[in-house]
Amino acid sequence: MSLTSATEYFTPNGNQELLELLDRYGAGALIVAGGSFVHGLDARGLLLGIEALIDIRNLGLKQLTSDDDGLTIGAMVTFTELVQSEEVRSSAVLGAVRDALEYPPLQIRNVATVGGNIAAACPYFDLPTAFLALDAEVQVQGSGGARNLALHEMLVGLFQNGLEAGEFVTGLFLPRAPVRTASAFIKLESNANDLAIVNVAVRVSLDSAGSCQDARVAIGGGVAETSVRSSAAESVLQGEKVSDDLLQRVGEAVQSDLQPMSDHRASAAYRSAMAKTLTQRALRRALGRL
Amino acid sequence: MTNTSVVGKSVLRPDAFEKVRGGKGFPVNVSLPGMLHAKLLRSPYPHARVVSIDASAAEALPGVKAVLLPKDVPQIKFCPVFFVPTLAPSMIQDMLVMSDTVRYAGQPVAAVAATSAEIAEQALEFIEVEYEELPTVFTTEAAMGEGAPQLHADAPNNIAKNPVFEFGDLEAGFADADHIFEGTYKTQRVHTCYMEPRVCVVDSDADGRLTVHSSMQHMFGLREKLAFVLDLPESMVKVVKPPYIGGGFGGKLDMGYIEPVAALLSLKTGRPVRIEQTRYEDFITTTRNPIEVYLKTGVKSDGTFTARYARSTLDCGAHATHGAEVIMVHGMFGILLPYRCANQTWEGRTVYTNNMIGGGYRGYGSPQGAFAVESQIDEICEALNLDPIEFRLKNAHQQGDPHPFNPEFTLSTYRFEDCLKTGAERIDFARRAAAGSTEGVRKRGIGLGCQALWVSGCMGFPDIYEHSGAIIKLNPDGTANLSNATVDMGSGQITTLCQIAAEELGLRADQVRMTYADSETVPFDAPSHASRVTYSAGTAVKAAAANAKQRVLEVAAVMLEEGVDNLEVRDGHVHVKGSERKLSIAEVATRAESPFVQMTAEGPKPTTIGEKGTILGVSSMAPPSNPSPASVEFVEVEVDTETGEVSILRVVFAHDIGKVINPSAAEGQVEGGFQQGMGYALMENIQFDQETGACLTSDFLDYKMPTAVEMNFPIESIFIESDEPTGPFGAKSLSEPCTTVPAPAIANAIYNAVGVRIRELPITPEKILAALGKL
Amino acid sequence: MKKTITLQINGKQHEIAVEPYETLLQILRNQAHLRGTKRGCDSGGCGCCTVHLDGRAVYSCMIFASSLQGRKVTTIEGLPQGKELDPLQAAFVEAGAVQCGYCTCGIIMTAKELLAGNEPLDETQIRHGIAGNLCRCTGYTKIVDAIKIADASR
Repeated sequence: MSLTSATEYFTPNGNQELLELLDRYGAGALIVAGGSFVHGLDARGLLLGIEALIDIRNLGLKQLTSDDDGLTIGAMVTFTELVQSEEVRSSAVLGAVRDALEYPPLQIRNVATVGGNIAAACPYFDLPTAFLALDAEVQVQGSGGARNLALHEMLVGLFQNGLEAGEFVTGLFLPRAPVRTASAFIKLESNANDLAIVNVAVRVSLDSAGSCQDARVAIGGGVAETSVRSSAAESVLQGEKVSDDLLQRVGEAVQSDLQPMSDHRASAAYRSAMAKTLTQRALRRALGRL
Repeated sequence: MTNTSVVGKSVLRPDAFEKVRGGKGFPVNVSLPGMLHAKLLRSPYPHARVVSIDASAAEALPGVKAVLLPKDVPQIKFCPVFFVPTLAPSMIQDMLVMSDTVRYAGQPVAAVAATSAEIAEQALEFIEVEYEELPTVFTTEAAMGEGAPQLHADAPNNIAKNPVFEFGDLEAGFADADHIFEGTYKTQRVHTCYMEPRVCVVDSDADGRLTVHSSMQHMFGLREKLAFVLDLPESMVKVVKPPYIGGGFGGKLDMGYIEPVAALLSLKTGRPVRIEQTRYEDFITTTRNPIEVYLKTGVKSDGTFTARYARSTLDCGAHATHGAEVIMVHGMFGILLPYRCANQTWEGRTVYTNNMIGGGYRGYGSPQGAFAVESQIDEICEALNLDPIEFRLKNAHQQGDPHPFNPEFTLSTYRFEDCLKTGAERIDFARRAAAGSTEGVRKRGIGLGCQALWVSGCMGFPDIYEHSGAIIKLNPDGTANLSNATVDMGSGQITTLCQIAAEELGLRADQVRMTYADSETVPFDAPSHASRVTYSAGTAVKAAAANAKQRVLEVAAVMLEEGVDNLEVRDGHVHVKGSERKLSIAEVATRAESPFVQMTAEGPKPTTIGEKGTILGVSSMAPPSNPSPASVEFVEVEVDTETGEVSILRVVFAHDIGKVINPSAAEGQVEGGFQQGMGYALMENIQFDQETGACLTSDFLDYKMPTAVEMNFPIESIFIESDEPTGPFGAKSLSEPCTTVPAPAIANAIYNAVGVRIRELPITPEKILAALGKL
Repeated sequence: MKKTITLQINGKQHEIAVEPYETLLQILRNQAHLRGTKRGCDSGGCGCCTVHLDGRAVYSCMIFASSLQGRKVTTIEGLPQGKELDPLQAAFVEAGAVQCGYCTCGIIMTAKELLAGNEPLDETQIRHGIAGNLCRCTGYTKIVDAIKIADASR
C-alpha cells in the first residue's frame, strides 16, 4: 500500500490554491473527490509515489443545474444526489443514468462523485458508458483557464484520462436531446457489488414515423480500454423501425466494433456475446420508455 | 422423545446482545500496553531459494524494534493442523515457520515488529532479499509428470499421500453391471471468507512464558503447535479463549505463520506483538483444496450399484497441511461410504504444487465428493429413466445398520428416507419437466443433492482428537457458569451448550452463562469443527451439568431431609417428587457456600460438612459414538439462456440431526451454509496468474460471493427429528452438510432446466452458454 | 505530517491528530477507541466498517480522516445505550440474525439509513439496500427478517 507514503493532505479553498498545489506536486499529487476508488487502486499497486492528497470538497463543485441547453453536474455531486435529482428521476432521456445508479451499493452512492468517477477513466465503471450515450462533455479547469472536452476525449485509455498536467475536472454537461428520446443502461455483473463484465447504454430518438434517429450505442466493461461507442450499431439503427431482424443486426454490428479482453472475470467470447445481448435488451428498454 | 423445556426452543443467543452493540470480545479488539505491530514480508516468487537477506536498513528505521529472519527461527518441521497431534503419523510434517526455500507466492520470508503497523509495513521495503527463482509447477498433472521440480525431498513425483481403499471384487462388480458410467468432475479453490481477519497478539514474560490471543477455532491445538515449533513445553504457552470470533468455517483450524512469528518477536523485544492480516493475506492463507474426481460406476438396470471406482487428485499446494486428511475424509465420506456397494475401489492422491496451501473448510473434502457422486447419480437416472429418489433409496444405508466407517457404532438414528420423501413432497419434485424441455428464454429446473453419510465429530477417526470437557460452577444467585474450551465462531456454540447445561440443571437458558477460559484452566477440548460441538462438546457439558446437579440434589437432600432419589430439578427449583415442597437452586447454592456455622436469631445453626463447598460439575470425556446426520436438498433454479445467468428460486432442505437443540440457530446454519454452497456452485473461485503464481482475486471486488440480492429466495428447513440415543437430549450434530449439498443440487437443477451437464465448478454463466453452444 | 481535526462522533466533540493517509475507520478504532466499527477488507468491499457521515451510510475505510473537519459521524455506539436496545438492534437479536456478529454492526448502520425514509420497504428494496454488506454466516435470511420487523414497527 503506497498511500502511507503521502505526507500531506490539503483541502484548498479555491481553484487558484488547487492549481498551485498541482503545479508544486506534479505527478506526486492525487486529487481526491469522493475517494471511493482510492484504496481499490492502491491495493492493485496503481498508486505509486503519492506525496500529496488534495481534497476538492471546498471548491463548491456541487451544482446541479438545468437550463434549455442541458444539465450541468458539478464534479463533487454524489451518486445519491444525482439519482435523487428531479431531472434524473423523471426524464426518459436520462434513463441510462437512472439505471446505472441502481447498481452501486448505498455506501458507494453516498460518497462516489461524478467527477471522480469520470476522471478515474476506469473501463469497468458504469456512468462513463451511460454518459457516453448522452453526448456528455467534461468541464475542465487548468492554469490556462477552462475548457470543455467530449467525454471520449477524456477517456483516453486504461486508467488514463485526457487531463493535461495541472488540470482538474469541474463538472459534466449533458446536452438536451430531441423530443421523443429515451435512454437505458444495463450492466452484467457476477454479483450485486461488482465491476462490469460488460455494460451497455443506448439512447434512441424516434421521428414522427417511428423510425430510430441519432441513436447512441455505448459499451463498456472489459470490451476495450475505455467505454466506446459503436458507430456500426448506430448506423444500422439510423432511419429504421424496430423489428427482431433489426435487433439481430444491431447486436452483430456492436460486436464488430469491439476488441474484448479475456481475464479472470470472463473470456472475450463471452463479453462479445453479452455485448450483443445487452445491446438488444437495452434498446428494448429504452424504446419501452417512449 | 423426552420432554424438554429449554432444549428444543429458539432461545436468544446471549452473545447477540453484545454483538449488536459493537462486540467487544472479538480477538481483533485485543490491545495490550506497550504492544508492537508486526508485518510479514512475503515472497513474490512461487518457487525460489532465498540466497541472502539483509535487513539492516529496516532495523535502523525509527520505530522498528526487531526483525525476524529464517536464521532466527527454529527450523522445526511441523504439521499445522489443530485437530491432530503435531507428529500424527497420518499427517505430513513438511512446514517451517520461516524457511529459505519458498514454495508458493506469498510465503513469508521475514518479519518486522515496530511501534505502528504503518512503520512495520514501510520497513518491509527496506529488507533486501536476493531470490534464486526455481522452475514451477501449477497443476497436479505437471507436478506428477516427468521432469517436474521436486518440491519436497521425501515426495517422489510430488505425491504427498496416496491412499487406496479396496472392498470386494471390482472386476466382478463391473462384469455384473448392466450399464457403466464414467465421468471426471472438477472443483475449484475457494476461500472460507470469514469476515474477521486472522489476527493474534502474543505476549511473553521474563521467563519466556507466552500468552496468546488469536482468532482461531482451537485453543489447545494452537497451544500444542506453538509450543512444538518453539521447542517449549506446552505449559509455557497459555492460549486465552476469545469470547467469540468473527467466523472460522474451518479456515482458522490450523496455526498460521502469524502466531509463531509474533511469539518470536515478543520474546525478542520483551513486548506484546500484534499481527493482523490484510484481506489479501487472508485470501492467500488457506483455502478449500481443489479436487479432480474420476468416477466409473456400474449399475443394474434398476439402479443398484454393482461396482464403483474412483480416483481423486487433490492439489495441496506448497505444503500438505490439511490435504493429508481432507483426501481421506473425501474418499471415505465423499465417495465410498454414502451409499452401499459391495465392490468399490478408491485411489486418492494429495499432490504438491507451487500453488497456495489448503486449510479446513466446512465439509472438508465431502463437497468435492458430493458434487461428483450426486451429479453422476443424476446422469445415471437421466440415462436409464430412473427416479432419483428411488435410486438413492435403493442404494442407501438403513437405520440400525452398522456404521459404514466405524462398524462398532450403528446408524442408530437414520431418517434419510424421510428426508428424501418429505423434501420431495414439499417442493413437489414430481412436477419437474424433462431436462431442457421448457419453452422460453428463461428455463426452470429442480435438482436434488444429498449428503447421505456424515459425522457428529471425529470419534473413531485415526489420529484425530475427540474429547471434550467442561466445568460448571453454581453461583449463590442460582445461576451457573459454564467454562469450557469450545470456541464460538458464530454457529451458536455458546447458546447450544448453555441450553444443554440449563436443561440438565433445571435452569432457564439465560441462567447459564459461558464464561472465561484459557488453556490453563479448563480440560482439553477438540476444536470447533467437524460438526462436533452439539454432539461431542454437548455430551461433555451435559455430563458436567449432571455432576453439578448431583451435588445440588445432595445438598438439597440435607436441607429438605429427603433422600436424593426423591428429588428432581425443574424451573430453577429442587422439588420433592409428588409434593409441593421445594427449594430454589439459589437457596441450595447459597447454603453450600455459606459460612460453616451460621448465626441466627435462635443462636448458631448446626450444619454438616457434606453440604459445604462450591457446587461444581466437571467432565472430560470422549463421546460415546459418532452418529450420522442425513441431509437432502432440493433447489429450483431459473436459467437465462441468453446470458447463462442462474437465479435460485427456492430451496427445501430436509435434515435428520436428531433432536434440534435450537431451531432458529439450526435454520441459521442451513441458510448460511447455502450461501457458501451456492457461491461454490456458481461464482467463487480463487484464481492465480499461471506464469507468476500471483493471486488475481484477493479482494471482494474480484472474489465473488453471494450478496443479499443473489439470495432473494425462500429457504425452508425441514428438521426430521429423531431421538439419537447416544446424543445429548437426542441430538446429533449439524452444520457441514448445509454447505455440502447445495452445489450438486444446483448443478442437477441446471441440468433439468437447460439439458446441459457441467462437471466443473463454478458453473458460471459463461460455462452454461458455452455448453449450450452459444459461444 | 499530522494535522488536528475536530469532528463530532456520536454527539461528542473529538479533537484528533491524523496522518494524511489515515481513514475514518482507523481513527474510530485507534484514537476514539470505538471498536464496534470493524475492518473486514481493505477496499470498500465488505461493509463491516459502515457508519453514518452527516447522516448517510458510508464505508468508513475509504473516508480520509482529514476530510472530516466539522463533520458528524454516528457509529453503532451512537445508537441508544444502556439496557435498552434500539428497535433495530432488538429485532436483530430476536430474529436470530446474529451469528458471528462481525458484519452485524455494519448492516445495522446501513439499515438505519434504509429505515429513515417515509415509505415502508419491500423485500427487494431491503436486499438491494444491504447489497454492499457481506455476511458469510447467516445467508442474509434472518437479517432481512429483522429489518422487516423493524420496518413494520416504526
